[in-house]
Amino acid sequence: MLVQLNNIFKWVQSGGQRIFLLKDINLEVEEGEFISIMGPSGSGKSTLLNVIGMLDAFDEGEYNFLDESVHSLKEKDRSRLYKQYIGFVFQSYHLLDDLTVQENLEMPLLYKKMKSPERKAKVADILDRFNIVAKKDLFPAQLSGGQQQLVGVARALIANPKLILADEPTGNLNSTQSKEIMELFKQLNQEGVTIVQVTHSETNAAYGSRTINLLDGRRII
Amino acid sequence: MFKNHLKIAWRSLKKQPFFTFLNTFGLAIGIAGGLLISLYIYDELSYDRMFADADRIHRIHADIKFGGEDRKFAVTPAPMAEVAQNDFSEVELAMRFRTQGSLLLRKADTEANIKELQTTFVDSTFFKMFGLDLLAGDIKTALKSPNTLILTKSAAEKHFSINDAVGQTLILDNDDSYSVTGVIDDFPQNSFLRDHTVFMAMSGYEDSRIVNWGSNNYQTYIKLIPSANVEDIQEPLRDFLGRYVIPGVQQFMPGFTEEQFKAAGNHLIYSTMPLTDIHLRSDRVAEISRNNKLQSIYILSFIAIFLLVLACVNFMNLSTAHSLKRAKEVGIRKTLGSNRGELIRQFLIESGLVSMASLVLAVILAVILLPMFNDLADKNISMPYTNPFFWLILLASGVVLGLFSGGYPAFFMSKFIPVKVLKGTSSNSLGGGKVRNALVIFQFAISVFLIIGTLVVYQQLDYIQNKDLGFSKDQVLIVNDAFSLDNNANSFKEEVKKLSYVKNATLSSFFPTPSSRSDSTFAPEEGLTDQENALSMQRWGVDFDYVSTMDFEIIAGRDFNRDFKNDSTNIIVNESAVSVIGVSPEEAIGMRYTPDFGEDNPEFFTIIGVVKDFHFSPFRAEIESLSLHLSDRAYALAIKLESGNFSNAIAGIEGIWNQIAPGQPFDYYFMEDRFNDTYQSEQRLGRIFFIFTALSILIACLGLFGLAAFNAEKRTKEIGIRKVLGASVSQISYRLSMDFLKLVGVAILISLPLGWFAMNKWLEDFSYRIEIGVWVFAVAALLAIAISIITVSYQSIKAAIVNPIKSLRTE
Ligand SMILES: Nc1ncnc2c1ncn2[C@@H]1O[C@H](COP(=O)(O)OP(=O)(O)O)[C@@H](O)[C@H]1O
Ligand SMILES: [Mg+2]
Repeated sequence: MLVQLNNIFKWVQSGGQRIFLLKDINLEVEEGEFISIMGPSGSGKSTLLNVIGMLDAFDEGEYNFLDESVHSLKEKDRSRLYKQYIGFVFQSYHLLDDLTVQENLEMPLLYKKMKSPERKAKVADILDRFNIVAKKDLFPAQLSGGQQQLVGVARALIANPKLILADEPTGNLNSTQSKEIMELFKQLNQEGVTIVQVTHSETNAAYGSRTINLLDGRRII
Repeated sequence: MFKNHLKIAWRSLKKQPFFTFLNTFGLAIGIAGGLLISLYIYDELSYDRMFADADRIHRIHADIKFGGEDRKFAVTPAPMAEVAQNDFSEVELAMRFRTQGSLLLRKADTEANIKELQTTFVDSTFFKMFGLDLLAGDIKTALKSPNTLILTKSAAEKHFSINDAVGQTLILDNDDSYSVTGVIDDFPQNSFLRDHTVFMAMSGYEDSRIVNWGSNNYQTYIKLIPSANVEDIQEPLRDFLGRYVIPGVQQFMPGFTEEQFKAAGNHLIYSTMPLTDIHLRSDRVAEISRNNKLQSIYILSFIAIFLLVLACVNFMNLSTAHSLKRAKEVGIRKTLGSNRGELIRQFLIESGLVSMASLVLAVILAVILLPMFNDLADKNISMPYTNPFFWLILLASGVVLGLFSGGYPAFFMSKFIPVKVLKGTSSNSLGGGKVRNALVIFQFAISVFLIIGTLVVYQQLDYIQNKDLGFSKDQVLIVNDAFSLDNNANSFKEEVKKLSYVKNATLSSFFPTPSSRSDSTFAPEEGLTDQENALSMQRWGVDFDYVSTMDFEIIAGRDFNRDFKNDSTNIIVNESAVSVIGVSPEEAIGMRYTPDFGEDNPEFFTIIGVVKDFHFSPFRAEIESLSLHLSDRAYALAIKLESGNFSNAIAGIEGIWNQIAPGQPFDYYFMEDRFNDTYQSEQRLGRIFFIFTALSILIACLGLFGLAAFNAEKRTKEIGIRKVLGASVSQISYRLSMDFLKLVGVAILISLPLGWFAMNKWLEDFSYRIEIGVWVFAVAALLAIAISIITVSYQSIKAAIVNPIKSLRTE
């Protein structure tokens, strides 16, 4: 079992009142799954994804990741888990504007303190695999949206994570670009990477093996 | 439109209270500092200008190189005034001061004395020279006859009311009767006579009528006629050497010629200096009051300008940084049809508002800080509230500062191109970063420079304080006015010596403090009339216990001793004297010198001992030749105390004093305090350096703090991404802090050589000085780095611990 959420609650306090962002969420993700999260805007999809990605804390419930209980881990250990196993893909790509494609890709490896030769090899590898070798010295502003997201996925993947979390990865892309990214996800999934994506599109959701629906912070399917 | 601008300006300032505060506060500190220093400088420049015809009054000086000493005197011979008046048609009036230091005064029929610290004989032309009026008395007769005096208002009021002062009799030093012939107003704090309270008629002072060109004791002032040019009398003044001085000396040394005098490398040059220049430009032997140095005015002006520029730089930096956040506003305004001029006006109104607020805050700060500043600078400055020019200048400088510091940001912001800023291009590409970096470097370069200055000044002061002086200044209490005890002085000394906490005591008028001088010229027994052998030496009268009380070290020969019958014809000299003579200390023993080589039967003194050089004049000067003679006449008793409870000792000594001399004021000081007073101007400079260094660092830190906050904000998104990619808090805060530390590093590299150069220049003034150590630079650099790390890291850490999902949320 990769991810196991038991009775997760998350709330914010507002004017003496609790506003629930997540209510009693139960979810199990096996290794190799490809899950789509759907729901109307504001229903808590991003919040759930951030909780799974350990970027956000929750207030009640249990979270086990690869049999380690995330809720009782120290910040340092959580950070180690996260760096080792999780990669993020964002709707607005979030590439660093001042760095080239190559440097952007290198970033997660730097933070994992990987040695230079190994780093270079990995970057070269992934550039090759994603067919963007020609773009390696360009800055994000010089790329199209689809190309930027391609780099975003490549960056999420470079440290060989077990789990990729993608929050509306095609939200800013046209349909051709969307299809390209989804095909890529599908291929990655077949290679063994677990994927959880948030999406508004039924077509995209169909790439997944199953779909979870949220409404007002509650899981309805 | 203006009202609209004002409204918007107010709102946008209110929306950013933190930046508005940093901006206002930083600028206010700069203005307040500049304001205080300006008031100080204004006061320093105003010295002695209040006298009518001040621009026509000059003092005559003498530069004399003779007998192994090269000195610049503020005093000239007694006959100088009369000769100058007679010889020069340019001179309208001449007058002299012969200062007497402190005197005890009492009313004729009373017992209790009151001490006046600064008294002087003056010629009766005193009133006309300085345009003085009498509050009481007749100006036509005042100070004309011998044994008359005039008092300042505050001195007179100690004895009688102003109206019945005239005609009263005062006893001076329990001896001479003087009748009061007038009362004048107190002299202002910014005049050279500020401390003088008693002025006695010169006509009663014998020495003033003797035509003696050999001794210099009279402060001589001349007033020129309006059409005269002071340059015209310099050449004839120099001719006084051949005309008066040489013939005067020839009376007792017939072979003495000007050629011989000059051939021996000697000189005697008379010159003049305008009265209004004296306070800042004169540092001579026997000044009538303590002067300041022009150098310290320059230093302070620099500091004031530094502070203002620093504050403006801060303003520019914070404003341009802040403006990046307003890029969108500029873009929208432009698409709505606003032109560049209008935008510039808008931003200038904002900076105008801030600078006006700073101005108000600055005046408040200055008013609060003024008492402290007065203390620091040893001044009595007040805010010139009633002077309209003060307010005008203040307002004008507020406007200038507003335009100066608001100009660049306004220009910078109005340049934004709408399509670019509205597309949400990253703020880096909007530019201005290089200018901001340069300004930060500039600020820190100044701060590091000032830190170096402070360290060097303090180190030099410390060196002076702890240098081996050749005598021990600690635990020496000096009781003044021992002469008022007359014949009881010795029994006072003996009684005091019996006290358990007294180690030793000595009666003398001369102590190793700067005010002690008695210049004399000696000639050796062999080659008596050969002026090449002349030796200029201080002549100090002392008693048998002097050398042991002062802890002088005898390096050859012996101390005075009661068992030797004729020690009164013997002298002890210092090392400097021996080296001027050109022999070794041992060889000097037995040599005979006389101070009255002009007379028929000169009295010779035999050198019986040589003491190690000790510092009796400030460290700025070389140690002069000096001789100790036995003498009965003593002004004060110096008492060496055991360490311990001084107040106990003082009480015990005062008890003895009151028994022997009831009614006489008991006046004492510690030698160490007097010694420290000598370095007042250095100490003041040190303190001022310290305070303004702290201020400039504070301003620089305010700016850095603001910039760091801005920088962190600008990079929120980047920080968020990095964190998602696995960066730790420390990695991110290190990265953010390094951006600024690099700038501080460059600033340090720039300021180190400048500081080294400037402070060596300052140290050149001291004959005994430190070498600037490498550690000074290391400390300055480390301090700057540490301060900037502290300043920046708060913002950096704050930015680094923010949860990335906050900064990366897609709107
Ligand atoms: N820190 C927070 N404080 C208050 N409300 C929040 C916070 N984070 C998210 N929300 C609210 O929670 C709801 C769910 O947000 P989100 O998970 O981003 O929705 P989705 O991604 O499904 O559009 C929204 O109404 C949002 O406004
Ligand atoms: Mg969302």
